[in-house]
Amino acid sequence: MTAVMSPMALRNVLRAPAAIRPFLVQSPRSLYHSYEHNEPPPYRDAESAILSSALAHVPTHGFTLEALSLGAQESGYRDISTNLFPKGAFDLVKYHLVTQRIGLKDRIQFTDERMGVGRKVRSLVLERLRANVDAGVVGRWQEALALMSLGENIPRSLKELSDLSDEIWFLAGDLSVDTSWYTKRATLAGIYAATEIYQTTDQSTEYRDTEQFLDRRLEESRVAGSAVGNTLQWVGFQGGAMVNLLRSKGVRI
Amino acid sequence: MASTWREALRVPYRLAVRRSSPLFVQRVTITTSSASPASEADPESLQKPASHQGKRRRPLTAEQKKFLDRALRVNHAGELAATLIYTAQTPPITNAHPHLRPLMKHMYDQEAGHFSHFNHLLAHHRIRPTVLYPVWTAAATILGWSTGIMGREAAMACTEAVETEIGEHYNGQVRELLLWVKDMEERGEEVGEELSALVKDIRRIRDEELEHLDEAVKEDAKMARPYEVLTGVIRGGCRAAIAISEKI
Repeated sequence: MTAVMSPMALRNVLRAPAAIRPFLVQSPRSLYHSYEHNEPPPYRDAESAILSSALAHVPTHGFTLEALSLGAQESGYRDISTNLFPKGAFDLVKYHLVTQRIGLKDRIQFTDERMGVGRKVRSLVLERLRANVDAGVVGRWQEALALMSLGENIPRSLKELSDLSDEIWFLAGDLSVDTSWYTKRATLAGIYAATEIYQTTDQSTEYRDTEQFLDRRLEESRVAGSAVGNTLQWVGFQGGAMVNLLRSKGVRI
Repeated sequence: MASTWREALRVPYRLAVRRSSPLFVQRVTITTSSASPASEADPESLQKPASHQGKRRRPLTAEQKKFLDRALRVNHAGELAATLIYTAQTPPITNAHPHLRPLMKHMYDQEAGHFSHFNHLLAHHRIRPTVLYPVWTAAATILGWSTGIMGREAAMACTEAVETEIGEHYNGQVRELLLWVKDMEERGEEVGEELSALVKDIRRIRDEELEHLDEAVKEDAKMARPYEVLTGVIRGGCRAAIAISEKI
């Protein structure tokens, strides 16, 4: 994950204490999304080759260094090349998260024009969970969650979760750019994280229980959201009515 | 006298654009420019109709994207505030001075157009809105309402102060974007539809804001009492809001 950085900027980063350096390096996800160019791939070819063949070993070996070195051997690199990944198994988890997030837009096409944003969000979340099944990592996902919850990995894991949430709202065609931009992303991130944990324990055929779990969470957030929205609308209406009443009585406000 | 020290304090435009500080990796600060729009360069690439422009050959740099991210977020917050100021000012002003109704409506309609344009740009280019959205909403409504209550001159002085700051702010952006366009032309690259459309839009919006400024001055903005204090406070507030919205 190397963003192109000027020498001056690099010097500034290296001056900072080691513990806070990761926060100073911006992730390559662009701030301004241009439609005239594709985003550069997040991994270099060698990294990509090793990590993708390592991921094929996850169902048998789990998210471990062993899977990583098997992946390196298989793609024709020496064992030592796992040094490319200083975080070891967590880099493997992150590779899965990043590639599945970027690949989400190719997994699903919305052809029905009348489909609402809410239904699109539901399909996108289910599609993303299906990607976990297709990659064969569901049985090992609790290991990944354990790695993600280690103190040093938490910031990057949360960043990845919020990026996924942002991606889903973007793909669903949500256009709101007010405070709800933040609440929507936070709510969906919470729902997605809960559903993903539920998925790891789901024994039903084709993960039908997970689907129902997701539907219940989405319904809850819809009810809570509309209650807040209705209350605010009511307060605003009453306030406006009061001002207009006073104005009609000749009060100069 | 007042104008001389203001001139002296003004940071030379190009100097203030790129500053690096030890804590932030790269601080791209959007600056203002009080130079006349007539002195702007008018590159040939912008004369071509947008449909004849191809796609850019080289992506924008990370720094340029960061600039656009901040600039568009600030513009969005600014237009939000502008629509709310006019919304809150209109009832008290048109009550007391019915002849101002068409002017207020005209200015509001233009601001609402700008606001919806930036709403679209933010969603389209995946830029987050400012965190302080509710704060700016409340502040702009209070500002508009209180200057509206104070009377026609105060309301027009408010418009004058806000539009001066916003106009200079857009001026600075146009100049920065025109520098990019010039660099691209020198390297023989296509400017691309996105950027050329953006420059044209910001220019058009800037010109409309400056029109409001002229209208306000025509409607006795300078007669407001206390003029210096009122415009000074509002302009300071605008500058602070711009600086904050760039970041968060």
